[in-house]
Amino acid sequence: MLLIIVLAAVGIYLLIYLSVQAQLQAVRTGAIPSPPGGEQAMSQTLRELRPDRVQGFGVQIVSGLGSLMLIVFAASHIGTEFGWGTFRTLLAHGAGRGAFLGAKVLSLALYAAVFVFLGVVAAMLGSYIVTAISGEAASGPDVGAIADAGRRLYYTLLPYMALATLIAVWSRSAGAGIAAGLVLYFTEGLVAQLLVSFNRDYANIVNYGLSRNAGALIRGAAGTTTIQDPSAVGLPDQGQAALILGAYTVVFLALAYWRLRSRDVTVGG
Amino acid sequence: MNPAQPAILRSYAPAVIVQQHEVVLRTKQLVKRFGSITAVDGLDVEVGRGEVVGLLGPNGAGKSTTIGMVLGLITPTAGTAEVLGRDIRVRREDALAGVGAMLEVTSFYPYLSGRDNLAAVALLRGAGALARVDPLLARLGLAQRGESKFRTYSLGMRQRLGIASTLLADPALVILDEPANGLDPAGQREILELIRELAGENRGVLLASHLLHEVEQVCDRVLVIKKGKLIASGTIAEVTRGGGNYFEIVVDDRPRAAEILRGLGITEIRETPTGLDVVADPKRGAEINRALASAALYASAIVPRASSLEDVFMELTEPEASTAPPPS
Repeated sequence: MLLIIVLAAVGIYLLIYLSVQAQLQAVRTGAIPSPPGGEQAMSQTLRELRPDRVQGFGVQIVSGLGSLMLIVFAASHIGTEFGWGTFRTLLAHGAGRGAFLGAKVLSLALYAAVFVFLGVVAAMLGSYIVTAISGEAASGPDVGAIADAGRRLYYTLLPYMALATLIAVWSRSAGAGIAAGLVLYFTEGLVAQLLVSFNRDYANIVNYGLSRNAGALIRGAAGTTTIQDPSAVGLPDQGQAALILGAYTVVFLALAYWRLRSRDVTVGG
Repeated sequence: MNPAQPAILRSYAPAVIVQQHEVVLRTKQLVKRFGSITAVDGLDVEVGRGEVVGLLGPNGAGKSTTIGMVLGLITPTAGTAEVLGRDIRVRREDALAGVGAMLEVTSFYPYLSGRDNLAAVALLRGAGALARVDPLLARLGLAQRGESKFRTYSLGMRQRLGIASTLLADPALVILDEPANGLDPAGQREILELIRELAGENRGVLLASHLLHEVEQVCDRVLVIKKGKLIASGTIAEVTRGGGNYFEIVVDDRPRAAEILRGLGITEIRETPTGLDVVADPKRGAEINRALASAALYASAIVPRASSLEDVFMELTEPEASTAPPPS
């Protein structure tokens, strides 16, 4: 899974670069008509692919991939213990339920840290490859800004991991944990985006969800993307976003712990 | 005594357990209800050091639920379970430090080898457990396959690995739920010998099994449960004594034959598909034959029988619907 994030991040950089570059060439040669401001927007997108913009564009790529992959990983990491029946075996050999969940959450948190680190490194690699292909000179990455963006990204992944953990514990199934986690992830993000696009006042409601707060925190990193993003309208402020995401993480884990402690463990888990 | 219970069953009332050993497991009035279903109903179990206690019962009798409660996997609705003198609900981790348990479904990490799975369990078991991994693999006949992935193991090998895992903690109490499942006759014999060895090492063993012949060979005492209730307990001799001697009579006119036998003072009579089972002194065979013949009832066979544990188990646990009504 760690290799997937590296390949995916580099691949997305290449795909976007080649796609935008091809469109830009076509517009410049007159092969296709240019929409108003289209050439400028495409040039802006290409600039976002450079190493000095990794803290914005690159981190957002890793964020999108990371949320999905960590939901899958967290649900599998915990759900398989029930599917294989090993949770029951561990308990029968004296393991505590709290210790089990604690160990799982700790290993997931460490995994997420490695995931973010590798993802950001892969994004930097992708940006250097794209810059080398374009033959343009580009300034180096802002390591401080990237570290700040990576830290924020890590924080935004935690509630998604906690959510997948909760669902896997509740359903005692990796498959159900993955499915329910992904459905919630996509549905919540989509509904939030649609509601805000209908009426900005709905932001007051959906700003208590996961996706808007995660978006606010990532976009709040210094020197993030300059691309216009209509879905960024009315995002909550940084402090509120951090608080709400932290609260979600704590509540999801507390519910998972409560469920794990109160459940009778029969065959399987 | 339940008057609706077939007469032949009445002599199997739970015996009082005489404590002869240091008790390593004691449950008191253990109850578990799942909604409206009572899986375990006021169960008292004691296992002492150095003894093998068989926990018998048909499917759904509550054996695995009882074991689950003893291990703290299932929360009792009422009652207590003490392991090594520690209440499992209050000091679960402390209590289980001295317990090795193998559950009915043996589950380990499929992508790890047998040795690594034991090592993973050993990490939970503290100092000394890791050093027991290889000796235990050898003791259970898995030394040659210790490096093979668990997913490649046969059912019998999985059972052996499960039993090996129970001994990592050098436990005072070993709980085995159907340990001989999937083993060939030679493997079953080895496991039975191992169980006796464990008792010889002054460990208490609680053995849940369907293999009654094997239970009969290794258990010092048995507890028979049905619908969560203890319906018989004691040594094998005690449990089988009540139905130890009976006659299997093959006769056509069963109601009339029963009436004649009741006239001889025989009260424990049970109808079977071919005739009657009658609890009576073995010396009364000729008398029974004479009485039936004088009434022109000629039995095809009058066979004296001695109940095995299996016979008693079948009598005790057969569904009520198929039992004959008690003699009036």
